[in-house]
Parts: sequence; C-alpha cells; structure tokens
Amino acid sequence: MDELTKDRVEQLIDYIMKKCLWQFHSRTWDRERQNENILGMTTQLLCDETVTAESIEDKCYWVDAVCLADAYKERYTWLADLEKPEIKSLMQDVKNRLDHLTITGSLNEELNDPLY
Amino acid sequence: MPYHLFKCSESIPEREKHAVIKGEGEDLTSALPLGYLNTIPGSISERGCAYCGAKHVIGTPMKDVIHMSHGPVGCTYDTWQTKRYISDNDNFQLKYTYATDMKEQHIVFGAEKLLKKNILEAFAAFPEMKRMTLYQTCASALIGDDINAIAEEVMEELPDVDIFVCNSPGFGGPSQSGGHHKINIAWINQKVGTVEPEITSDYVINYVGEYNIQGDQEVMQDFFKRMGIQILSTFTGNGSYDDLRGMHRAQLNVLECARSAEYICNELRVRYGIPRLDIDGFGHEAMASSLRKVGMFFGIEDRAEAIIAEESARWKPELDWYKARLTDKKVCLWPGGSKLWHWANVIHEEMGVNVVSVYTKFGHQQDMEKGVSRCEVGALAIDDPNELEGMEAIETLEPDIIFTGKRPGEVAKKVRVPYLNAHAYHNGPYKGWEGWVRFARDIYNGIYSPIHKLSLLDISKDEIRTDVGFETQRLLSDVNLSDEIKNSTTLREYTGKYDCIKDLRDKTYPEYLTKKVSEAV
Repeated sequence: MDELTKDRVEQLIDYIMKKCLWQFHSRTWDRERQNENILGMTTQLLCDETVTAESIEDKCYWVDAVCLADAYKERYTWLADLEKPEIKSLMQDVKNRLDHLTITGSLNEELNDPLY
Repeated sequence: MPYHLFKCSESIPEREKHAVIKGEGEDLTSALPLGYLNTIPGSISERGCAYCGAKHVIGTPMKDVIHMSHGPVGCTYDTWQTKRYISDNDNFQLKYTYATDMKEQHIVFGAEKLLKKNILEAFAAFPEMKRMTLYQTCASALIGDDINAIAEEVMEELPDVDIFVCNSPGFGGPSQSGGHHKINIAWINQKVGTVEPEITSDYVINYVGEYNIQGDQEVMQDFFKRMGIQILSTFTGNGSYDDLRGMHRAQLNVLECARSAEYICNELRVRYGIPRLDIDGFGHEAMASSLRKVGMFFGIEDRAEAIIAEESARWKPELDWYKARLTDKKVCLWPGGSKLWHWANVIHEEMGVNVVSVYTKFGHQQDMEKGVSRCEVGALAIDDPNELEGMEAIETLEPDIIFTGKRPGEVAKKVRVPYLNAHAYHNGPYKGWEGWVRFARDIYNGIYSPIHKLSLLDISKDEIRTDVGFETQRLLSDVNLSDEIKNSTTLREYTGKYDCIKDLRDKTYPEYLTKKVSEAV
C-alpha cells in the first residue's frame, strides 16, 4: 500500500474509531457482520449506488452507513476527486484495516466467547 | 507492548498488564489492557460486587417496584443518598429500601421464613405496589435459601402481585459487571413476553441501558416524544416493571450503555428479531447523530432534524462559552464503565479539554477498546485501578479535574484535585444539548472554584490580606482570554433553570396519527 493510500485509510479509520460504536459489538461474529454490512453499504453510498435495506436488521446497518458516508464526504473532501473503482479499493482497504483492529488482530480475549 | 507498571504496584507485578500508555503509532493491536478479571490479591480494588451491579445499577431504577434484598441490611448501603436515578412517581424506588436483615441465627437455621415474612409485610405496607424484585446476596446464597420457591409461594397466595427473582450474589463475578449480565439474562428469561403492551405509535422502541441519572432518561424521552416515537420500555431508569415485560413488541432497541445492557439487546435480537442500534446521548454532535439515526430508521428524519436545529441554536453558544475557558485543561476520565468511551472524544472536541487518563473499574476489554480508540495519544488507560495507583497517576499527570465516583473522588479532593461525580453527576442531567452544557458548567465550577487557593492558606500562620476582595471564578477563568472572547455578545453562560426536568413532566406533545388511524379517517 502506498503512503498516500495508507494515510487516507488511517484518516477514515480514525473517524470510525473516534465517532462510531457499531464496530465494537461484543463477539467476533457480530463484528464481522457489522463491519461487512455497514462498510459495504457505505461504499455503495459513496459510489452513488442504490442501497437496498429490506429487513429491519438491514435498516440498522443502513442508518449507520448513511451517517458514515455523510461524515466522510463532509470531512474528507479529497474523496470527491476519486473515481468509483478507487473508492471501492480504498474502502476495501479500510475494511481490511478495521477487521484487523477489531477482530483478527484484536487483543480482546472475550471476542470468541460462544455466549453473549 | 506499552504496558505501564505503577511504582506503587511493583510488589504486584501482575498489575502491569492492566495499564497501558497510548503512544504515538499505537493501536488496539498493541495498546489494550486486560479487563474483567478477578482482582489480583493485594490490590485494593474500587469495584463493587455482582449483587451491587444487578440491584443497585440495573434493578432499582425501576420505579414502581418494591426492591427487596435477601441478606444483611448492610447490603443495602448503596441506596439512600448514594444513587440519583430519579423517577416521575415521586422517587418511590429511592425513598424506600428493603432488606430482610439476615443475622447469624439465620445463617445457622435458614432464612426462608424470614424472607416470606418480609415480602408479605412489604406488600402490606405498600398496598399500591404490586411488583417486587428480589435479590440474592452472598449470605443467603451460601446457605442455599431457595428464594425462587418463596417467590412462587407468595405469588400463589397473592395472585395480584408479580415477583422477579435475581440470583446474583456478590461473589457471582469479578465485579458489578457480572451482576449486569445476570440480571439482563434473568429478566429476559423470566419476564419478557409475559405482558402484551398497548402500541400507540407506528414507531416503537425500547430505550435500553439508560438509568435516568438526575433525569437523563426524561431528557431523551422528551426528544423521542417530540418525534412521535413510543418508548415501550426503558431498561431501566424511570422504567415501569410491566412495561419491561412487554419489551418483545418493540421494533428497535436503542442502546445507550452497552456495558450494562447489551446482553438483553443481543438476546432480544436473537429471540425476537429486534435489531440493536447503539447511540450516544452525551455531546451535541453525538446527540444529533443519534436522533438522526433513529429518525432515519423510521423514515421520520425530518422530525429529528427539526429538533437538532432548534436545540443546537439554543445551546451551542453556551457550550462554546465554557469551551473557551476549559480549553487545554487536563482531565482524568475515571468512571465505572461506559462513560470512559461516551465522553473520551466528545469532551475533547466540544469542550477543548485534554483527557490524560481513562480508567474503568469494572469494564471489559471491549470498553477499553472504545476508550483507548477515542482518547488522544499519550493517555494512560487503567483497568481496575487501586487507590494507590490513582494517587500515583494524579501526581504524575497533574490533572486539573477528575471525573469519577464519590469514593475515589473524595480521595482526590484530599490532595486538592477537584472531582466531578461521573456516576451520579453533580448538577445533572448531563444528557441532551442542555445537559451537556450543564456538565461543562460543573467542570468550569470545579476547576475555577476559588476554594482551591483559599484552602492553601493556613489562618494560624499565613498572612491573610484584607485589602483585596476574594477572587471570583470569572477572574480566574478569564485571566488569559482575549478581549474578543471576554466581550463576546454571542457566547454566554448557562441560562437554563435550576431544575430542567420538572417542566418536561407537564409538557404536551404533538399528536401524530398512526397509519392505521390515518387510513381509517
């Protein structure tokens, strides 16, 4: 990953870590679901694609995604200069980094408890 | 790994992994203390017990209930005066506290008869109260009293009463957090689904993990009512026992304190398919985002935006007045659990203070993940601190103020560091736009109180000047401010009422017709 991309990923990650709560559900399977759905929908919104939120569970992901996409557009104006494939690639890097911080590289010893 | 071993804890080397300093370039994969483990012998913890976490944090804020502890009367210490979860029924749950008063003879001969007698007497003394929560304690659990059986017996004899039994004795976990877990699961297992609630809106939520500290719940309830949202139940501040039995009919669980109540949200999602949306009631930006999200979920975001615009315009100039005077002040954010992450970032951004340390008495690593992420580089994060570690941190970090509980807070005062009560608040509520300004005012009053200087004078030997007046807070806070800020006509001090909750209780709200009624008309 080049330095510019790395820097941009860190900016986007920093916003999530400071302002959001959805990435910190208590168990691994929850976090995987949250990261996948919310960042997936955020990517679609940033790329002006239609997001379908049919179930009430999807609606929860969607409202967090809308808030995140709006905040990204407002704070990180350089996003407007990126092409859609670049946004998708960048957001995939964000997801990989977030998964590392909250799941695969996490020091939280309770993440894999089988019960809530 | 950036672990930090306090000098005072060198004789307890296991403590090293319970504190980290968030250094430059550190992230959660390298800077995260251990958490939710048994306190290490030799470390005098500030934690509470699992009974306390179940009863005094979560059970007792329910307002229309007799809350009975089956144990020694000392177990009810944390009731009168120490708790401030008020209610709109004249604080019944705070005014009256009940214990079976077990003594040595009951340990030898059993206390089930004593328990039954107490339950019957309590219902007789308060005939208008038909609901009871009943708590096991260490003493009654160790002798094996079957409190479930006694509750069943009473419910058979008095068919109009309902009793909830919570088996969370003090030893039932490393800290009060073990009790949070137990009462969450006990409530959904025993009570959810046993009452069918009346649905009056198209938008129905459970408001979970909110304890109405000095009126927080009523502030948030006001916003939801203004949006036409029905709060089916609040778990548990200002909450009604029977409303909480109907939690299964909500469309959405809005979760505030994940540390104490995410368990019931998660179970409601698994068992009843009700999704969970985490929100932040502290701070202007967080409040706006929270209402916006709930509004969007129901497709009524316009109602949320109207409230956000009105509240921001009313309270932002007052928050900014305090921000100008609090910027760069150093604070230690040392609460019990969730406030370390609720406040860590927003207090820095909206009040300008620097959080130099976060700690949690009973939080899990999950809480520290949130807290460490949200505080700035250089902050010291401590899990389950002991009193000496707190003192050492105060000496090295030299904070201007500490937000913590009243016991460690009073210790801080002894070394002339002001504290604010992070659990029960000083002059709350702290939630909502106005509440956040009230918090800023409390911080300002704490830091700039003239008493800190006056208390350094020893009238038996120091010269006391009589030719000058006392220094006021304003003189102290404005000494380095620019004229532009000092003379600003837009910024202003808090102008709300002493009691900002009273009027909410008499307020009328817009009536939104439900879809069913609209279609019939």
